[in-house]
Amino acid sequence: MSNSHHLTRREMPQLLRAGALLLLCFLATAAPEAGAATRAEVRSAALTLDTTEDVYDLSAKVDLSLPDDARKGIEAGLTLRLAYQIELYRVRRYMPDAAVAELEQVNELSYHALSQRYLVRNLNTGEQQDFGSLQAALEALGDLRGLPVIDADLVEKGPEYQARLRAIIDLSTTPDALKWLLFWSDDWSATSDWYSWPLRP
Amino acid sequence: MAAPSLSRALSAAVIGVGGLLWLSAILFMAQTAQNSEQFSRLHPWILMINVAGLVVLVALLGTKLTQLVRDWRGHVIGSRLKARMVWIFGVLATLPILLVYFFAVQFLNKGIDSWFNLEIRKSLDDALVLSRSALETRMREHLTDTQLVADELMIGGGPMPGLLESLRRQVGAIELVVAAESGRVITVSKGLSAEVVPDEVPGEVLLQLRQGRPFVSLEPQPEGGYLVRTAVPLGEPTPGSERLVLQAVYPVAERLGALADTVQAAYQQFGEKDYLRRPLKASFILTLTVVLLLSLLAAWYGAIFTAQKLVQPIQDLVKGTRAVAEGDLDTRLPLTSHDEMGFLVHSFNDMTKRLRRAREDQLRAQQAAETERANLAVILARLSTGVVSLEPDLAVRTANRAAGAILGEDLESSVGRRFDELGQGDGLLQQFVEACRARIAAGDVEWREQLAFQSGAGRRVIMCACTPLPGEGEAPGGYVLVFDEITGMLQAQREAAWGEVARRLAHEIKNPLTPIRLSAERMRLKLMPSMNEKDAQLLDRGTETIVQQVEAMKEMVNAFSEYARAPRFEMQSLNPNKLVTEVTDLYRAQVAGRGLSLTVSLDPALTALVADQGRLRQLLHNLLTNAVEALEGQPAGEIRVATHLGSHDGAEVAEITVEDNGPGFQRDLLGQVFDPYVTTKARGTGLGLAIVRKIIEEHGGYVEADNRAGGGAWVRIGLPLTETTRSQAARREPRRPEARRERA
Repeated sequence: MSNSHHLTRREMPQLLRAGALLLLCFLATAAPEAGAATRAEVRSAALTLDTTEDVYDLSAKVDLSLPDDARKGIEAGLTLRLAYQIELYRVRRYMPDAAVAELEQVNELSYHALSQRYLVRNLNTGEQQDFGSLQAALEALGDLRGLPVIDADLVEKGPEYQARLRAIIDLSTTPDALKWLLFWSDDWSATSDWYSWPLRP
Repeated sequence: MAAPSLSRALSAAVIGVGGLLWLSAILFMAQTAQNSEQFSRLHPWILMINVAGLVVLVALLGTKLTQLVRDWRGHVIGSRLKARMVWIFGVLATLPILLVYFFAVQFLNKGIDSWFNLEIRKSLDDALVLSRSALETRMREHLTDTQLVADELMIGGGPMPGLLESLRRQVGAIELVVAAESGRVITVSKGLSAEVVPDEVPGEVLLQLRQGRPFVSLEPQPEGGYLVRTAVPLGEPTPGSERLVLQAVYPVAERLGALADTVQAAYQQFGEKDYLRRPLKASFILTLTVVLLLSLLAAWYGAIFTAQKLVQPIQDLVKGTRAVAEGDLDTRLPLTSHDEMGFLVHSFNDMTKRLRRAREDQLRAQQAAETERANLAVILARLSTGVVSLEPDLAVRTANRAAGAILGEDLESSVGRRFDELGQGDGLLQQFVEACRARIAAGDVEWREQLAFQSGAGRRVIMCACTPLPGEGEAPGGYVLVFDEITGMLQAQREAAWGEVARRLAHEIKNPLTPIRLSAERMRLKLMPSMNEKDAQLLDRGTETIVQQVEAMKEMVNAFSEYARAPRFEMQSLNPNKLVTEVTDLYRAQVAGRGLSLTVSLDPALTALVADQGRLRQLLHNLLTNAVEALEGQPAGEIRVATHLGSHDGAEVAEITVEDNGPGFQRDLLGQVFDPYVTTKARGTGLGLAIVRKIIEEHGGYVEADNRAGGGAWVRIGLPLTETTRSQAARREPRRPEARRERA
């Protein structure tokens, strides 16, 4: 009897939340904007020519910060997904700029409870690194070095080029089917502003 | 007709599509809890569809409920029944839904909580700790091995590649790296399975070594399995030279690694789901709530819809009944179903159809009766015979114009009045009414009789027939009196008879008169000389008397002959005043001789008249002779002759009046003074006034006679001025019985 009473009392806020979520559903549909605490900001970025490989490499510093909820979520088993979107355009005067290169670099950060280590996995290359702390893992993630973007031959001398970079953070679950639940529980997703800079070969 | 069916089809299509969309959305929503990636993408959209459906349903329901409330307040027919039905259906649907919802929420909460109960959490934690301790034992062993290798290397004099290789094989490491503290690799020994391992020492390792602590860590591999990385300082730091470190990487037994992976995966998944328990519950409850709301609203909407469907035929019936009560028999109700209600509607339609047909028949019959009545009215109006129909209580139902004309009163305006209250005094109408009433009152309802009445102007004979009208049962439904004046006809018959008599008299009597006279005269001539005086005187007186009487008889026969003679007119225009003057002048001496006075007053306006002069002269002679004879022996006898231009029936007539102050007509003979052989005088044929009337009739005129108030008599003749008016009068005559009404 007392148990059911207890349950009923516990249901009330859930019902309220359900109602509130329903309302929220009207106001904000998918893809909520930058949350209160999750943040991604590109501090610096540069394309440098690797003369040995004859490739333009990207180096960038990105500040990534997560709220405690997200950190707990990651420790509980959720996976943080960080995508870098890199775009290079040839600037044209009378026509829309022409895309020269567009690529996305996706990393996943998860916690390995058994080894008590944070794993950072590059989905593009399949490489995996492990770190003793979340902060170290986030720093490693935010430190982009020598990411080949475009073959130097494809970048002509003369025209002006514009490069831009942004970072997108969101959380996912191990089985993807549960991911939709995060739609309700997080405001952890974040998308940084585009960081643009000119490239003059 | 097409527009409503189109809109009905359209709304049905919208409802169908919307319902399908909604149903599939709910099904999808239920599926989202299962493993499928696409549902996680679709989930918000599915929810949106459901919410949109919810909004649409709320709007629809709101509209319907508002309409229902408005109908209720406006006392619209059927609104109360509809509201009651909606309420009952709605409550019946709501209660089980709410009950199911309540238990489902409880079940959900309990169920989801039971998935993540503490025992499972603890056993998973324990499994993790167990796995970790098993691995940690290995890690410690490997660290000890690494330390041993480092010691051996130091004893052996440094990191010789050969020594390194043999030591690596000895401890079972897959890689041994000797590096400077800065990270520079000095020498490496790798096993075959160590190709993937980068031959460098991570900064993290160096950092820890610099702090004077040996490094050991378990490294999960991307493709599963684990490596144990250990590192120890190689020898003591010496001034001037870089300190060396030894890093050794060991494999973890495949089976152990697989088990550890399983534990790790289970732990992670459980943690993840536990973490998502609240949103999971919220989502389930939300889904349930949305479905509940949708079902509830749909149920209420369905309740309204069903109630509407059920009440509609009743509303139609009530409306139809009202319309029929107000006389609109064209009302047809739509047949919406084939159940009992449909049967009722069908019966109603059948009833109105029959009613309408009956009314049409009745209308048609009424129209036919009206037409018949109108025709009858026209016929009655045109009839010269008087027709009066009476109600059983003797109230006048109808009367035609001829009836009024014959009886001398306007009977058409007396419709509705009682027949026996018509007429006043001893007028003709009153006598007629009394005669009829007496017969009807005596129970004589079917008779035909010739009725004679005495009116102020003379004797009137009316042929009257009474017939009862068919009524309900034995009692008659009224009476019809059909009557016609036959005074004129009788007169004509009489005249015809007299004409015949006169003609025969003239023929049969006139012929022997001459031989009688001649015989008498011869008798006197032959016998007188041979007779004695006494006999001779007797013979003389006798023959004288015979001759005189024969002469008188001859005159009488001539007069009869004149009366019976067929008219031979010589119509000409004449001045009536002049004619009157001429004729009266002839009498002046005679009148003066008898001590009478003769006054002639002439209307100067009367200038011309078309007539037979000879006949007119004879007429005047007859009238004047009558007057003179009437005044015989009368002291201070006076004769007045007057002409006047008058009008009769709208036509101009020349009126001539002859008056005297003699004894006047005998009252009882007043009606027959114009009949032949009716006379009040000792001498006279009784043909004078009869011939007057004959001449007048030949001229299409009229003649009246009556006694003067102060004694004496007057006779007035009226003659149409021209041939035209005469012919008009003659044409009018049969239709206007009153015109024939000589007051003679």
